[in-house]
Amino acid sequence: MSFIGLDIGSRTIKLVACENGTVVLRRKALTSHDPLAVCRSLLKDAPEVSIIATGYGRHLVKGYLPCETVSEIKAFAAGARAVLPSCRTVLDIGGQDTKAISLNENGRIDNFQMNDKCAAGTGRFLEIMATALGLSLDDFMASALSAENAHPINSMCTVFAESEVISTIARGVSRTAIALGIHQAIAARTVTLLERVSVADDILFAGGVALNGCMKEQVEKMLHHPIHVPEDPQMIGALGCALIAGEKFQGGK
Amino acid sequence: MPFNVADVEPIINDEFVGEPNKRALQYIQTKRSEGMPVAGIYCGYAPMEVIRAVGAVPAILCAFANKTIAAAEAVLPANLCPLIKSSYGFIATDTCPFFALSDAIVAETTCDGKKKMFELISHYKPMFVMDLPQLPDEKEAEANWAAMITKLKGFMEETFGNSGSPARIEEEIKATNEKNRLMNRFFDYAAKKPPVLKWSEAYELALLAQIAYTRDLHPIFEKVFKQLEEREMKGVCYGTGSSPRVLVTGCPVGGDSAKVYKIIEEAGGVIVAMDACTGMKPFLSEIEEDTGDPIAAVARRYLQLPCSCMTPNMRRLNELDKMIARFRPDVVVEVVLHACHSYNIEAYKIMNHAKNKHSLPYLKIETDYSDGDVEQIRTRVEALFDSL
Repeated sequence: MSFIGLDIGSRTIKLVACENGTVVLRRKALTSHDPLAVCRSLLKDAPEVSIIATGYGRHLVKGYLPCETVSEIKAFAAGARAVLPSCRTVLDIGGQDTKAISLNENGRIDNFQMNDKCAAGTGRFLEIMATALGLSLDDFMASALSAENAHPINSMCTVFAESEVISTIARGVSRTAIALGIHQAIAARTVTLLERVSVADDILFAGGVALNGCMKEQVEKMLHHPIHVPEDPQMIGALGCALIAGEKFQGGK
Repeated sequence: MPFNVADVEPIINDEFVGEPNKRALQYIQTKRSEGMPVAGIYCGYAPMEVIRAVGAVPAILCAFANKTIAAAEAVLPANLCPLIKSSYGFIATDTCPFFALSDAIVAETTCDGKKKMFELISHYKPMFVMDLPQLPDEKEAEANWAAMITKLKGFMEETFGNSGSPARIEEEIKATNEKNRLMNRFFDYAAKKPPVLKWSEAYELALLAQIAYTRDLHPIFEKVFKQLEEREMKGVCYGTGSSPRVLVTGCPVGGDSAKVYKIIEEAGGVIVAMDACTGMKPFLSEIEEDTGDPIAAVARRYLQLPCSCMTPNMRRLNELDKMIARFRPDVVVEVVLHACHSYNIEAYKIMNHAKNKHSLPYLKIETDYSDGDVEQIRTRVEALFDSL
């Protein structure tokens, strides 16, 4: 019997199918302007038994697909414990939000914080900054990792930060220094958010931004704690949903 | 989150169900056509007993709609509290019927934004700005506030051509106390487990009760209590025994910011307590009677209102303790309007108080009157309930 978790994020939609607690299928696609159609195509030929959805699109699909919904906090908490059973703190940086979740010893949610409604410091912010620097996301990260020093970026509003980057380029500051400065600015903001929930080891870093090695390195430096990035960090929410579906509909299997 | 049965009769079953502002407008228009002057007010610190003692009817001015903010931002900074922007926008666009009916405006120096906004609207109508003491525990505070109330009375007597004797103020003190006792009897139905009353019903009656004379409310209270008793007898309740009970504290909530209440309800929560000037706050305490100095008694009571503009504001924590004991919430949600620095900073104390003293989960929602953040708020509220 298989259970499906669907994480309909602002930038990507992720699907995980589990059978007896083991992942049997992972799929991912860009959210696009029509998330419902993307969900349908991801679900195509998937063994459709029971679905739990999370992410910003969860309520959209509820009316069209046979599924239940859970909040992203619950989904990420469940997914994080599945890949790292000792996890007590979850950091998720996705397309438009940053979440910090603290868990107690048994994995129950103790506290959570999310960034405010703007996309400052999220994946979308990184994409726009990379574009402003004329770099692909990968090159943007590589450039920051190669920087010898950082040029501080002060604005966290995406629009203002873009102007700041453009005027900094115009002043002749090196791209690598700007790239590192942007990463450090986001890391600092992320650490503030983490400190609002209590930070306890082990810390799991999930979401698309966890794929960025420079972000991981900067957050670790500022937090003075090692953080763990799981294999395929974007799938944690969908995995959590699939596991919750398994528990809910099959009593723990 | 509906009632457990269909077709529950609205608590005030008139032509204004769901439109408390229209009900208030009709009340004020009726009073005005009977010759009563109208005093427009913006805040819970406006001393209602004195307004009524000079024979006026108070009108709560419009401050809760997103639609007037764009017009306001032509003059005011965008990074200002939406309540102030909306208030100003209503006046700039001449769309607040309560303002149009007002013969005078009563204003208070609660926060910097309001204070400076009042300067920009002071030429429209006769206005009296009361200097509100913000260190309420200082020994001079009460006398200073009483002096302001006396001055306000003089201003209204002159503007309206009426007079308000100490005996009339004393009568109004007693009328307020009677009203507050009735309102508390009403709120007790929200305190029940599960509640017999919906938040929107409490909100509607609170809005009318703030402006109306107690004597005019008697027939309404009679029907309200009859209905509530019937609901209890029939086992009607709001939500289920397991719906999370929510206490909402913080900035005033109304109109477009009531989206937060709706989201809480849609996520399966039942709002049992509304700790705001638009909710239960104006009714929770009584004014001392027969002191021989009714203005001092009024001053004392209003200074006890625990707005975040006060410092220190220990009363807010004490009042919160009482509300938590009475309404037995499972969570505390704080609503902070953008750029309301005093509530936003005080939220840290409220969070610690809720978590440490009462072991209650706490969620702060910073928002404005737009609907752009509805889904973000929904995610937070659902996550809060998930974590219970």
